[in-house]
Amino acid sequence: MPDSPTLHSVIFRIGALICAAPAGIVREILPRLPATRIPGVSEAIEGLVNVRGSLLTVLDGHVLLHQERRADDEGAIVLLDVGGRRYGLAVGQVLDFLEVPAHSVAQRADLPGVDPRLVRAVGLRGDQPFILLDVEALFAPIIGADGQLP
Amino acid sequence: MDVSKYAALFLAESREHVSACNQLLLEWERDPGAVEPVGGLFRSIHTIKGMAATMGFTGVADLSHRTENLLDALRHGRAAPRPETFQLLFRAVDALGRAIEGAGTGSEPPADEVLGSEIDTAAGATVGDQRPGAIAPSANQTRPVQVTIRSGALMRGARASLVLRRAEAMGRVTALRPPAAQLEREDFDGRFSFRLESEASDDEVAAALCTAGDVEAIRFEQTSPAEAAIGIRGRQIRVDLGRLDALMKQVGELVVAKNRLIVLAAAAQDPLFEELSDRIARLVSGMQGEVIAARMAPVGEVFDRFPRLLRDVARDLGKRIRFDMEGEEIELDRSILDEIGEPLLHLIRNAADHGIETPERRTASGKPAEGRILLSASRERNSVALRVSDDGRGIDRAAILAKARREEMADASVETLTDDLLLRVLARPGFSTAEAVSGVSGRGVGVDAVMTRVRALGGTLDVKSEVGRGTTFTIRVPLTLAIVRALLAVAGNERYAVPLAYVAETVEFDPGAVTSVRSREALLVRDRVIPTVHLRHLVAGAAGPAPPRRPTIILEVGDRRTALVVDALMGQQDIVVEPFDAPRGMPPFVGGATILADGAPALILDAAALL
Repeated sequence: MPDSPTLHSVIFRIGALICAAPAGIVREILPRLPATRIPGVSEAIEGLVNVRGSLLTVLDGHVLLHQERRADDEGAIVLLDVGGRRYGLAVGQVLDFLEVPAHSVAQRADLPGVDPRLVRAVGLRGDQPFILLDVEALFAPIIGADGQLP
Repeated sequence: MDVSKYAALFLAESREHVSACNQLLLEWERDPGAVEPVGGLFRSIHTIKGMAATMGFTGVADLSHRTENLLDALRHGRAAPRPETFQLLFRAVDALGRAIEGAGTGSEPPADEVLGSEIDTAAGATVGDQRPGAIAPSANQTRPVQVTIRSGALMRGARASLVLRRAEAMGRVTALRPPAAQLEREDFDGRFSFRLESEASDDEVAAALCTAGDVEAIRFEQTSPAEAAIGIRGRQIRVDLGRLDALMKQVGELVVAKNRLIVLAAAAQDPLFEELSDRIARLVSGMQGEVIAARMAPVGEVFDRFPRLLRDVARDLGKRIRFDMEGEEIELDRSILDEIGEPLLHLIRNAADHGIETPERRTASGKPAEGRILLSASRERNSVALRVSDDGRGIDRAAILAKARREEMADASVETLTDDLLLRVLARPGFSTAEAVSGVSGRGVGVDAVMTRVRALGGTLDVKSEVGRGTTFTIRVPLTLAIVRALLAVAGNERYAVPLAYVAETVEFDPGAVTSVRSREALLVRDRVIPTVHLRHLVAGAAGPAPPRRPTIILEVGDRRTALVVDALMGQQDIVVEPFDAPRGMPPFVGGATILADGAPALILDAAALL
């Protein structure tokens, strides 16, 4: 009998929400880095950070998901590959790397306070629910459609 | 011999010769009695033929040979240089260009027999005319000569010099490789080549050259591209641009590391560390200069294609246009040069189509029947200005304003179009005043396409126009894209980089010199009223109160100026423009980003957007 497909996810906390991103698009977990503000753009853009000599645009997960930062947050940046481009997602804390059988993840459900369009699925980590984010939908209103600056 | 690996070299050298052919044909067409252009054309076509034959590109070699026959007929008066002959030669050069591109990229196009026959007819070709494969020089023809000095011969340089003296006694020697100075230093492997224009036969030439002594071999063959490359080693080599790009990127990272090292060394207060840091900084600056210099190329490389293009456009439009170029020797970074051709092409086509009037109309308005377009390049501080000027009808501001109002681009309160406003209207996507698409321009994709491309290069576009007198478009681009010298300006606790290319001077903000122009704040600097922009307001969100004394950066693009009031200046730094994914809604005054000496990212301000 074939094995049940497995879903690999990186689990992190943003405010009060436990969220996940598919491990396939997570390139790196970075500590929180000082960001340079970009004037005039959405407040969901935390700014630019220097990652070993390259610039990375970082989006603030708390603003995107309307969550309060917690005082005990260590802060981390999850480096994601979105449509061939790399962006950082600032989160409160990275919690886990999880392998769960795909059948144990349910299709998206209405969650109080979370835009259902941003939820790809919901699952359980122990007895704690987590949201598998639709990262492209989450970033779509913010990231540029007109390519890189020189 | 596997020659396929020399295809890139063949392509590069043949392109240069095709470009030269176009220039020479234009020169000859202007003065059909001139002798020099014919000789030059002959040499270029002959060189292409030789290289193509070596590479086995029979189509290119055949077409070159037929063209050479026509040139020979013209040179010896068997055919007359009539307008239709020039047109035929232009077509032949175009066809050669296409055949070379195809051959060099692995798909040599089939021969255009119609064109070939036309060339043969014009040349009055005779039966049994020899085709390439056996390139036999005719009387007083230029032939390639390759000489090999015997290995182990003493004073090989002196031997080479003797051979050359013998050759010069028989005719004209050109295209010596390696150059004479290198031969004199004996910095060659015993082989050298040149072109000899002489009436003597091959046997006579060989016999004469051998009298110099220690000559092992004389060959009358085109030097293969590979051999040519060997011959010029140590002087000039062709380098793949990708390698220079990679080198530039490495140097860019080195510059960032150097900046960081300087900060660390200063903080450490260790004399040895500081001395080492200074030395590394000097070495990196030197290397940076060398790499930038290696990437620089004269704008003439882009300009060269325009005379031919304009000739064809003028023919299509039934206009008489004289095209002049100035400042072709001015250099720009290769990456900018590669991008600037298209915008210039747009402007030149626009000038020919919309600017220059028909000969009848020009004569009726008291102008010479022949219009003039001038393409020029000049250095301005750390940027280069490229101008396309015409002496045509000028832009009808009233018509543009009327159309702009109809299309709700300008409101009714605007009475006249200043140059700035005119440019903004012209650069609106899709804006065109042409009543009909002419096939040359007028599709409404001209000025906005130029503006977009120029802005992407960190450059600016200006227009000046006078009805009846003509129009000048000026493109200003930085000398190089990758590494720029910048002034660091502060607003609150944020730092911004301002490229020095557009900084005229810095002054202190004097509240007593504040005035107002059209209800906008301006600063009086040495009797000149300059509108102000406060960096704090611009980047809304800078923390802390503004300091009482504020430096002001006077930005200048062409004759436009803006005073940028900042909280503080932190000196100059070489900055490397770093790519990043720009978020939606990024304001136009942000021209890019960089990483400063302390490792923090900083935004680069686009001077043009502030003016």
